Amino acid sequence: MRVRALAASILSSAAVLAVGWQLGGQGQVQVAPDAAAPAASAATTAAPQAPSAAASTPTAAAPTAATPTAAATAPVAAAPTASGTFTGSVSRTRYGNVQVQITVANGSITDVTALQLTNDGGKSVSISNRAAPVLRTEVLKAQSANVQSVSGATYTSEGYLSSLQSALDQAGL
Amino acid sequence: MGLHIFDTMGTTVSLNVAGALPNASTLAEVEEAFVDIDRRFSLYRDDSELSRIARGELPLTRADAEVRQSYADALDWARLTGDAFTPHRPDGVIDLSGLVKATAIDRAGRVLEAAGEVNWLINAGGDILLSGESNVGGSREPWRLAIIDPQDRQGLLCLLDVTGSRSALATSGTAERGEHVWRASGDHRRDGHRPDERLPFVQVSVLADDIVTADVLATAILAGGPERSDDVLDRFDVDVLTVDGRGELTASPGFRRAAGLLTA
Repeated sequence: MRVRALAASILSSAAVLAVGWQLGGQGQVQVAPDAAAPAASAATTAAPQAPSAAASTPTAAAPTAATPTAAATAPVAAAPTASGTFTGSVSRTRYGNVQVQITVANGSITDVTALQLTNDGGKSVSISNRAAPVLRTEVLKAQSANVQSVSGATYTSEGYLSSLQSALDQAGL
Repeated sequence: MGLHIFDTMGTTVSLNVAGALPNASTLAEVEEAFVDIDRRFSLYRDDSELSRIARGELPLTRADAEVRQSYADALDWARLTGDAFTPHRPDGVIDLSGLVKATAIDRAGRVLEAAGEVNWLINAGGDILLSGESNVGGSREPWRLAIIDPQDRQGLLCLLDVTGSRSALATSGTAERGEHVWRASGDHRRDGHRPDERLPFVQVSVLADDIVTADVLATAILAGGPERSDDVLDRFDVDVLTVDGRGELTASPGFRRAAGLLTA
């Protein structure tokens, strides 16, 4: 369950990233933006199906060979008990070039990491600290009375007079 | 709750104290922190040191030690941000206005600390530095901050309870003072954006452990765009909330938990 929670958290933090998934050079699963979470289970089931393709394609990890993290270990063939690190193909998204890396132990995913490729030397970095899309709720105006201070683009002394900050100050909160 | 409001640097400063206001001399020292830095660093004042340097009347090497140190700091920030933050105007004039206000807020905070004040908040023109907790109806609670919606200046994007080492929140934007930031590249006004295109930001908020870092990085990300945001988050321990030209938001982990935001 820890694994599933981990996968869900990482994938949800990158929820709108469309991730082109390619495992062992076999069938490609395109993950839709709002279907990121199921990608983990798709990958889980994909792993045991790998043997036939992996056996005939020793260079299965080719799409990721350019990255230092493409450390896909060779024995993909032992699929029912597959272990190793697998990296999905690079997908171009509005948030940059993205790929997902999974760690598999005995056929189960033990870790999922979202990677984003930087331009300098093909170095991969974790994007878990990156900014991800969020939506705003529309219930905040009524709550402004509970706020002590407001941050916004610099206001002038004149702008202050009509600002929310001025209203808060006048309320003497 | 004590409140002290004063105008300086062309904007308004609100000092909020959880208990009684500090004594008059401490308040005067807080105000002087802004006045002194404004007097020496502001280019809109003809008699400031930076104006005299710009006119060639004062060699940089003869400038006050604090001015030289501030310029050195600004050059460091330029290097750390790939020149997205720059202490040079396009015409080459040294312009430290990107550091002036945050430096003054920082100094005012040190004045309050030295005076033994523990629970306070300074908001200078929308940039906030705070310490300790607030006093809401007699009970101690985290300071609760809000970030303005650039599309509706009376509206709020999110509410944020500030705890731990995060004590500074700065917001840079194009909303009130116009396009004062020089874009890294591209013309964001052109029409026909692709739906997957990352648009320039119209507002950037940075939550950090100190106000200078927060303010500089907010300016750098506003100027440098989404790529700079990624880079800053990779290399600095800060949190970032951005608003782009379509009004769409992105948030780093520390902001995703803020009230008023939903994970997309």
